[in-house]
Amino acid sequence: MNRGELIKIFQRMASEVAEKDFSHVTEDVGIAQLGIDSLGMLELIAAMERELGISVPDEQLVGIQTVRQLLDLVERRMTK
Amino acid sequence: MRPLCGLRADPMAISYPTTLVEALDRLPAAEERGFRFFTLDREEKYFPFHALRSEAHRRAAFLGTLEVPAMYGRPAGRLAHGDTVALVLPENHEFVLSFLGASVAGLVPVPVYPGASFKVTAHYVEALAHILGAAKSRVVVCNARNLETVKQLKERPETKDVVILVAEEAFLGDAPPFTPPVVTPDDLCFLQFTSGSTNQPKGVMIRHRNLVANTTAFLGPEGLNAGALHGRPDDVGVSWLPLFHDMGLIGFVLGTLIMDLPVVLFPTTTFARSPLLWLELITRHKGTITYAPNFAYQLVAKRVKDKDLGALDLSTLRVAGCGAEPIRARTLVEFAEKLAPAKFAPTALLPSYGMAESCLAITFHRRGTPMRVDRVDPAALREGRAVPSEAEGALELVGCGVPFPGHELAIVDEAGAPVGERVVGQILSRGPSVNDGYYENPGASAESFRDGWLWSGDLGYVADGDIFICGRAKDLIIIHGANHYPSDIEWVVGDIEGVRRGNVVAFSVMKDGVEQLVIAAEGNSGDAVRLRAEITRVVQDAFGLVAAHVAICPVGALPKTSSGKAQRKKSKAMWESKELEEHP
Repeated sequence: MNRGELIKIFQRMASEVAEKDFSHVTEDVGIAQLGIDSLGMLELIAAMERELGISVPDEQLVGIQTVRQLLDLVERRMTK
Repeated sequence: MRPLCGLRADPMAISYPTTLVEALDRLPAAEERGFRFFTLDREEKYFPFHALRSEAHRRAAFLGTLEVPAMYGRPAGRLAHGDTVALVLPENHEFVLSFLGASVAGLVPVPVYPGASFKVTAHYVEALAHILGAAKSRVVVCNARNLETVKQLKERPETKDVVILVAEEAFLGDAPPFTPPVVTPDDLCFLQFTSGSTNQPKGVMIRHRNLVANTTAFLGPEGLNAGALHGRPDDVGVSWLPLFHDMGLIGFVLGTLIMDLPVVLFPTTTFARSPLLWLELITRHKGTITYAPNFAYQLVAKRVKDKDLGALDLSTLRVAGCGAEPIRARTLVEFAEKLAPAKFAPTALLPSYGMAESCLAITFHRRGTPMRVDRVDPAALREGRAVPSEAEGALELVGCGVPFPGHELAIVDEAGAPVGERVVGQILSRGPSVNDGYYENPGASAESFRDGWLWSGDLGYVADGDIFICGRAKDLIIIHGANHYPSDIEWVVGDIEGVRRGNVVAFSVMKDGVEQLVIAAEGNSGDAVRLRAEITRVVQDAFGLVAAHVAICPVGALPKTSSGKAQRKKSKAMWESKELEEHP
């Protein structure tokens, strides 16, 4: 899966969790800027886990501030 | 262990344990009665009550014989009766076993929000250090997964000597010889640090007698009438509430042990990841009692789809309690409607009010009766009177019922004089659940605890015998059931370049029945976009919160005291009446 496909998955999941249209959100945006707080972040990561067949423990989410950092983390978990 | 007797729900026949330690001794030996945990690694761990007790006694021996260095004016050596042990344990079963172990050893556990490990913010470790200092804890018990974080305490001069125990390693092997002390009802059971800011944490002192008084009240015949001790051996509690907070700890761990009530506990983050799991576990384990803050009912109502309902059966749920944050009538109504096909009974909904300073519960809605919603005029309420109104735009407030036997409630004005029906005042509570004060903090204690009355800082009114909570005199922000202190948020925002400390305010407003965070900071118009982004980022990073609005105001726009410090209440009032100037 390339980065472009991953971004599209993120856009879809984030839109569902936040109930907003994030279909054009880019990597440099801060997750908090999207209105997603720590609770929303957990729902979002769980949705991505299910979609991609990965697991991301709670502690790896600390310090994740931008979409780029989140997708980097997801990619790392995909190669495990 | 003596077998229980007298299972009729006749208050005169019930003999309650007088301490948590005694409660452990009295629990039955039956294998099928115990605590079921789901771990962060998604494993299931079951502990029959007898196993909880025996492991608690093992851990007590390790804690009771631990050698600790001199700190806080206490000499080196073993911990003394009443010394504190901080618990920073994200794994629920390790938390419960360590808590009980400390209690059996005559020590005082101090639950602390565990945060997370790795790349944690300095703010968290600082907050942790402040709590250890306030609690005078020389020992911290943590899990392997958050050791990286907790170890950072060693880099701070005031906590460099603290003893850190990793729960998975520190209690292995043969327990050393140890005779547990006699624990009495007047002894401290634990300290609760959910009141007070990072810089001024306040540890509520909960003694065994307070714990027993409150749990026997809210789980007793006038409350939920729950557990085998009240003739309900089929009661099962299901909860994802965090155990470092009173609703989860006292409601689903300590109270349930006192009443012989098996529970199923799963992590808060697991709930956040899959909110419907809450309902699935209630179905699977035939849960009869659950509790959550309003936001959780809202979240589940939003997420549940028709296709999910077939697999759910909530018919066993006789109590779906709601507390810890403002209750929104429409949220609970919508939840009940959406879950009706899953056999959810709306009369299970139990609006509740309480706070740590009174252990946990102060009032419960009258169980089994339909929810009471009072519709009042917003302008009159701002002026201090709850005037019924059916007009559009009327505020909807949910009744939280009445206090428990042996406890009193009063609504008073600023001078402390009782006010009348439908007049708003501060809520005061008195009775055996009310604690003595904050640990080693007579100043803060004197403010909140006066002549046996707890001054809650919450505002409310009584109408036709029920209490309605309608505001807050104290500067506290509650989001997702958790307490946040404006001064903490302002401090973190004040660190940002371009923001002047003292020229930031954080407050909350109610929008359509939901409490939301607003931050207002003075700054230059050219800087507004950057400041908004920075503030959003640091607040998310430090607190996991996203403000509903960040206002960057022209320098001088925020109302100030004579010493130049921004005034929170005035700023909030100006914000609400749209008088606060803001850069676009």
